Amino acid sequence: MSHDTTKKTKGLFWHQAVIALLLIYLFLPVMATLLLSLAKEWQSELVPHHYTLQWYVEIFTDVRFISAMGRSVLVSAITVIISLMIMVPAIFVIAVYLPKWEKLLQIAVLLPFAFPPVVTAIGLIKIYSSGPIAISGTIWILVGAYFILILPFSYQSIRNSLRTIHAKDLMEAAEILGAGKITAFVQVILPNILPGILISSLLSFSLIFGEFVYANLLVGGSFETIQIYLFNKMRTGGQTASAVVITYFILIFIISGFIIKLGRWKPKEYVASTIAKGGE
Amino acid sequence: MSYVKIEGVSKYFGSTKVLNNISLSIEEGEFITLLGPSGCGKSTLLRAIAGLNDLSSGDIYVGDKKITHLPSKDREVGMVFQSYALFPNLNVFQNIAFGLKMEKMDKEQYTVKVEEMVELIDLKGKENMYPGQLSGGQQQRVALARALIKKPKILLLDEPLSALDAQIRRTLRNEIRLIQRKLNMTTIFVTHDQEEALTISDRIFVMNHGDIEQEGGPRSIYTSPETEFVARFIGNYNVLKKSELETTGARLVSENELFAIRPEAISIFPLAKEGHNMDETINIICEAEVVMSTVLGNVMRFDMDVKGIGITVDALNESKIHWIKNGMTVQIAIPIEECKGLRIPS
Ligand SMILES: Nc1ncnc2c1ncn2[C@@H]1O[C@H](COP(=O)(O)OP(=O)(O)OP(=O)(O)O)[C@@H](O)[C@H]1O
Ligand SMILES: [Mg+2]
Repeated sequence: MSHDTTKKTKGLFWHQAVIALLLIYLFLPVMATLLLSLAKEWQSELVPHHYTLQWYVEIFTDVRFISAMGRSVLVSAITVIISLMIMVPAIFVIAVYLPKWEKLLQIAVLLPFAFPPVVTAIGLIKIYSSGPIAISGTIWILVGAYFILILPFSYQSIRNSLRTIHAKDLMEAAEILGAGKITAFVQVILPNILPGILISSLLSFSLIFGEFVYANLLVGGSFETIQIYLFNKMRTGGQTASAVVITYFILIFIISGFIIKLGRWKPKEYVASTIAKGGE
Repeated sequence: MSYVKIEGVSKYFGSTKVLNNISLSIEEGEFITLLGPSGCGKSTLLRAIAGLNDLSSGDIYVGDKKITHLPSKDREVGMVFQSYALFPNLNVFQNIAFGLKMEKMDKEQYTVKVEEMVELIDLKGKENMYPGQLSGGQQQRVALARALIKKPKILLLDEPLSALDAQIRRTLRNEIRLIQRKLNMTTIFVTHDQEEALTISDRIFVMNHGDIEQEGGPRSIYTSPETEFVARFIGNYNVLKKSELETTGARLVSENELFAIRPEAISIFPLAKEGHNMDETINIICEAEVVMSTVLGNVMRFDMDVKGIGITVDALNESKIHWIKNGMTVQIAIPIEECKGLRIPS
């Protein structure tokens, strides 16, 4: 019996040791970056002796940084919103009314994985630099590319949300009760798929926020996103770049926090709080 | 004048015919059941009445109004789905009120009605709970209330009880019947469970492969099946060919080719024992070997072999039949009037 317990503790010890190692491996670079971004200077010491916030002050007073941030937020937000406006109705209609076409949509949505960004980017530049849609070098070519990039994620999450609520049954029930198709969609489908959609939107948002290859190749010179700014900074000064990285990390951290919180959202919990407040 | 009329309704999915020229009519306030095995087209017919499927041909009338081409929302039907289909984002009160809100009714007005409904389905105090917090039976009651509150012209129930366990099924079945009578609600109930159909309905339509094979009250459906399908589906009947029946010793004066005999109409008695009032003029009496016996609760089922023909006999499970053992040879008596001639469906 006691032999068994020691064996178990030992097993647990190895478990924890491996996890600890993994965490150190993952966080050591981040810690180092954090220290570097806070150090006055860091040459040969093990840890820096003097600390300062000057690098953060530097980037936050740098108009280039602020506008790069702004551009990244802008392009991420535009893409996510356009993607939602197109994909939610499209997936809904196909899932509920045209199930025959679902296979096709699934394939279409997975295609982006088949092409490496560099290849796609070169193709896009070729097509859109002249001709009827000359949008090369503008934010719109980037939005277009990102729309495709996040397609698999938005598709999966929207589709799963619809599947878990049995969207077709709900629509039929609502229609028999006298609701038109649009009213039914807005009142009984949308509220139930919203949490799932929000999660995927935030994921897509951070995915686009951290994207470098497309941004650099498609609009690198004319539209400096946060990743391109970072790339340029790394060539000039390590410590400013570190401050940028840490700022970026904090932002992603906040977004992840939201995602996790939303992921736990269930109608049930939302219910409990309404009941506590006395219902309707 | 019948209230609901279905005239020559057919439905194809691609090239498969799922409903085959079905006609039926229902009186106001009647509770009818569509009974049939899985895939026979019951849901398709029900959904066509609700406007969720279109029809390939035929017409549907409710109270003289042709509704064949109306959209669901204008048909004034209520429907309860097998999957309940309650709105997960709305609580019990809001779910039940949904249909009235769609009519743009004021809150004060519908609140009263919803409260009445909640009372009727016995869910008082649970108005603020969400579907996810209710048991299956409670959810189904909410679904029923949600359908009933609009005072629909017909109530459509698509296997509303099949996801529930036996106990709740029976209680809820009775409740549905009581509420239906109270509101005098014309109701079409779909099920593949013959016991459920027999206990709940005024009239039963037995369906098979998109056809209605027989219609009638529960008693007549059960005691006088007209086709082999109905006989087998509704009551474990013995279905014998004329030639088979003749090998048992029967001399029949009937032009039918197929006969159905209820297992509980046959009686068993020992080989030696004479003096039973088994009149050979009204009974077929023959020797049979007991192949297998099964306890079905209050009934024992014996599988018998009569000159190579399998016959099932049911007897009340009481001590006076305990002498019957597997492998024994016994005598059985089949009342001739219980040999119901069957028609061969075209
Ligand atoms: N949308 C559809 N497309 C093609 N075939 C369909 C469709 N809906 C139903 N069918 C077919 O029509 C037939 C009848 O289906 P229906 O759902 O009416 O059966 P049912 O009697 O309700 O069976 P169950 O008891 O299993 O619910 C089935 O063979 C089914 O495969
Ligand atoms: Mg069905």
